[in-house]
Amino acid sequence: MIQAHELTKWYGPNLAIDRLSFEIPRGQIVGFLGPNGAGKTTTLRILTGYLPPTAGTAQVAGFDVLAQAREARQKIGYLPEHTPLYPEMRVEEYLHFRGQVFNMDRRLRKARIDVVVDRCGLQPVRRRLIGRLSKGNRQRVGLAQALLHDPPLLILDEPTAGLDPNQITEIRNLFAELRGQHTILLSTHILPEVEKTADRVMIIAGGRIVANGSLAELRQKMQAGAKVLVELAADPAAVQKALASLPGVAEVTVDGREGWCQAVVQPKGMDDLRQAIGQAAANNRWAIRELRAEHASLESYFIRITAQQNQAIEAA
Amino acid sequence: MHTALVIAKRELTCQLYSSIGYVVLALFALGTGLLFFGLQFQRGAEATMRSTFTGIVWLLIFLAPAISMRLLSDEFRSGSIETLMTAPVSDGQIIVGKWLGAMGYFVMLMLPVAVLIGVLEACGDPDYGPLSSGLLGLLLVGGFYLAIGTFASALSENQIIAFLLTIFIISFFTFVLYSLPNASFIPNAWREGISYAYVNQQFDDFGKGLIALRSVIFFLSGIALFLFLAAQVLESRRWR
Repeated sequence: MIQAHELTKWYGPNLAIDRLSFEIPRGQIVGFLGPNGAGKTTTLRILTGYLPPTAGTAQVAGFDVLAQAREARQKIGYLPEHTPLYPEMRVEEYLHFRGQVFNMDRRLRKARIDVVVDRCGLQPVRRRLIGRLSKGNRQRVGLAQALLHDPPLLILDEPTAGLDPNQITEIRNLFAELRGQHTILLSTHILPEVEKTADRVMIIAGGRIVANGSLAELRQKMQAGAKVLVELAADPAAVQKALASLPGVAEVTVDGREGWCQAVVQPKGMDDLRQAIGQAAANNRWAIRELRAEHASLESYFIRITAQQNQAIEAA
Repeated sequence: MHTALVIAKRELTCQLYSSIGYVVLALFALGTGLLFFGLQFQRGAEATMRSTFTGIVWLLIFLAPAISMRLLSDEFRSGSIETLMTAPVSDGQIIVGKWLGAMGYFVMLMLPVAVLIGVLEACGDPDYGPLSSGLLGLLLVGGFYLAIGTFASALSENQIIAFLLTIFIISFFTFVLYSLPNASFIPNAWREGISYAYVNQQFDDFGKGLIALRSVIFFLSGIALFLFLAAQVLESRRWR
């Protein structure tokens, strides 16, 4: 659905994105993550044809976003950051306007407006002025206009920013309903949201893609090199000494309490130390109450990988 | 053209929703009424609106920028330009649509003039030739000023800057070009050319009942020039 090749964008002397290449297959929900200023919005704006890249090409549904801009834009439903709308218009009036801009005839427009109003939960406010709507409802109007012409690709820039947890859940349910019908490229800061909705994650930092894969692939990467937590009935000093002497251990932190001591073992590389630690406990005849690899969240992975990229940029 | 008309319709509706739209309408009605009853509506006077039309051309120097200042500036400020420029719409369609919407509102502004023509009809025997050509001339001047305003509005996110810039450019075509031919440093050969671009002189013939082709060409080419420049400015935003 999306093919980006070596996309580069300079704003004057500042490099916003640096030779981004990626492909997004049809029907997937892709979480597009990155810290502020990483180049997410620039990438989305290039894909929607709002900004031209300084170098590189991008295709949406087989159409070049620059050379075949109109055809490409017809295939995209776009919700920009901050959901800009026309406050003086009524919800239904605005949706009619958007439908006309997308060349929908009156009958199709009316039918689709009924569908998106229903799907986005706008029925109670469909005749209200947009300027008088709550932030949540405005966000729904933004989503409704993106869905209106039934595009195969939805590009949503921070669709849940500023919403309360109930509203976020509603939007997440909406994505679940849309799964399979549209390809969705979803930029967000809310990582649990991505874990719950996305099939795939792309992480951008310093203008470069630093991770790109399915959630299962990323989970494997997240687990690799994870810290191991172990709780033993033993003297803390002995535990410290025994675990620190194991091959592949970078650091051991021991905290003793009530006859039990808890140790956190950090591996040097990407090794899984659980087996070696279990073996050491057996050799020393220490009772084990707990032995587990620390659960690595997408959040900690995101922090680790973006920090690495920032360090690499600073070093360069 | 269909898409430009869709944008024009939204723009016209927006003008009618905004408070500034009604302020401009009230000011225009007041100014036109004062000009008509102060300058022309006298016992024994000719049943014409020539002086009123000339006065309206001066009024438009300030009223046209008030209509056009928000056309694109407001879209830039709110960010809604992004949804418009990512729809299957060309930059030219956006500009023409915005200008047509402002023109639609300008035509509505002419309603008080229609009322005054009704007063003339009730009290005298007006000659509809000069009245029709005068109205056409006003439409052309309004269209020209609104095209300048559309261009100025494409240059800034700030409506006040767009307003002042429009007045500045219009002032060039009125005050500056009025006084320039009299300056001693201007070669004689240039004087006629400079006078040609003086808006009020171009309008004069319309007020007299003449529709001069050269005047029509002046206004239409001026409108086309400033709309083209506005489209170029909008296009250039993508590359900044």
